[in-house]
Amino acid sequence: MKRWLLGALLAALAASAVAQAPLPWSDDEVKAIARHGPWPPPAPSDPSNRVAGMPNAIVLGEHLFNEPRLSADGAMSCATCHVAGRDWGDGRAKAMGRRELDRRTPSLWNVGYAHWFGWDGAGDSLWSQSIRPILDPREMAGDAARVAGLLREGKALACGYERAFGHRPNGDDEKLLVDAAKALAAFQATLVSPRTPFDAFRDALVAGDREAAARYPLAAQRGLKIFIEANCAACHFGPRFTNGEFGDVGIPFFTRPGEVDSGRLDGLGKLANSTFNLLGKHNDDASGASALRTRHVQRLHSNFGEFRVPSLRQLGSGPFMHNGHFATLEDVVKHYSEVNPDRLHSDALPLVRPLALTSEQSADLIAFLRTLSAEAPPRPTPPPLCP
Amino acid sequence: MRLLAALIGLLIAVPAWADCPLDLGRGTGIVVFSSHYLIAFRPDPLRIEVGEPFSLLFNVCTKNDKPAELVAVDAQMPEHKHGMNYRPTIVSLGEGRYRVDGMVFHMPGRWELAIDVRAGEESERLSHEFVVK
Repeated sequence: MKRWLLGALLAALAASAVAQAPLPWSDDEVKAIARHGPWPPPAPSDPSNRVAGMPNAIVLGEHLFNEPRLSADGAMSCATCHVAGRDWGDGRAKAMGRRELDRRTPSLWNVGYAHWFGWDGAGDSLWSQSIRPILDPREMAGDAARVAGLLREGKALACGYERAFGHRPNGDDEKLLVDAAKALAAFQATLVSPRTPFDAFRDALVAGDREAAARYPLAAQRGLKIFIEANCAACHFGPRFTNGEFGDVGIPFFTRPGEVDSGRLDGLGKLANSTFNLLGKHNDDASGASALRTRHVQRLHSNFGEFRVPSLRQLGSGPFMHNGHFATLEDVVKHYSEVNPDRLHSDALPLVRPLALTSEQSADLIAFLRTLSAEAPPRPTPPPLCP
Repeated sequence: MRLLAALIGLLIAVPAWADCPLDLGRGTGIVVFSSHYLIAFRPDPLRIEVGEPFSLLFNVCTKNDKPAELVAVDAQMPEHKHGMNYRPTIVSLGEGRYRVDGMVFHMPGRWELAIDVRAGEESERLSHEFVVK
């Protein structure tokens, strides 16, 4: 009996030693993995926003983020859809404003590092994007006068504004709307997702620490190899696992019979017509460098049906894609495994092609994707505006 | 090394090209040439990062020392047959020097730069490949 027990124990130890050995990684693979870090990157900066990164503006922005009086009926704030406990989304397939919308509420994790905002990239700064839902009649249905009035007349908000901007809330309504949005942006730029098991593995691999690398689950390692092999990083590039640009990955763009969501094509039209884009008077960056992308971006026929490449960090529990088309991560992986190449109209080597994964490979890829998330620490109550 | 030897050979064989300044200010540059044109250029910043805007500084010379014009610069990924999402602009700095702003390689991989130049009635496209990671 004792001998049997000892044998079983030795066998278990041997099995666990085998299970904990990291997979072999080539130099090229290590370089590819290294490019997805380190995490977190340096804090984002935004020269177009003179209060970006300023503590008092961040506090004002968090209060405004939770302020339902910004909406026409006083019933909806930014936090209504961007819920902290739901990865700064709402867990719905389609966002719900004053009515159901055609797209999913995007997560705000790491939004300060982006250069295009919204699923269609109609915003070129975080502050201009923050204005859109306030004014959109389908969402908060507010207006500049309402926001300006709150800042001028609400005692706490007026005090918070003065601390953030260094003067009393004066100027015209539009300027105060933009300032409110800049404070909102300052707050949102602080939403940086936590380090994950992938980050620990990536750092260990780069440092040549085999023992630490071996703590990363084997299934996730196999999934990461699939991710590299399939060239997913062509779009899901860098530490944020997105190149911040746009793509058509074969998701239907019909919103209802006879109506389509043209995505980036429409977004670029909205960007060009916006008085709040970075080419306008509200950009605080006198050098003009922050407007470089806006100045040079081109509107192409191929932009039809393209949507922003989402980050893969803090994916949450779904639904997924710009319109919540897939309920689960399993559905997303199945799509990439079986996507119809004819739908993508590519006459060259397609960036998206059917991966034809086995069920084990799909499970491994999902295991890898799950390691790009970690539990975020609970959010403390925002400090008072003027203690 | 072979390219450098060929370039030196060309400079000796075509005296006008010997006057073509190849150093674009940082002691480094890329040179492409044909039987009519010699073009030196370098990115600014020197290292091209995926998804980050960069500029290109050009010096365009001709074999017969006639003034040449940089007409257009564009880039595409030949494997995927897609170009950039951004349209670069060309600013002439005088004496065959140009600055091209608004370049962005938004994906890692092989990009082919197309450089269209013209001298009088003659125009030509020269190209150069970058691999960005």
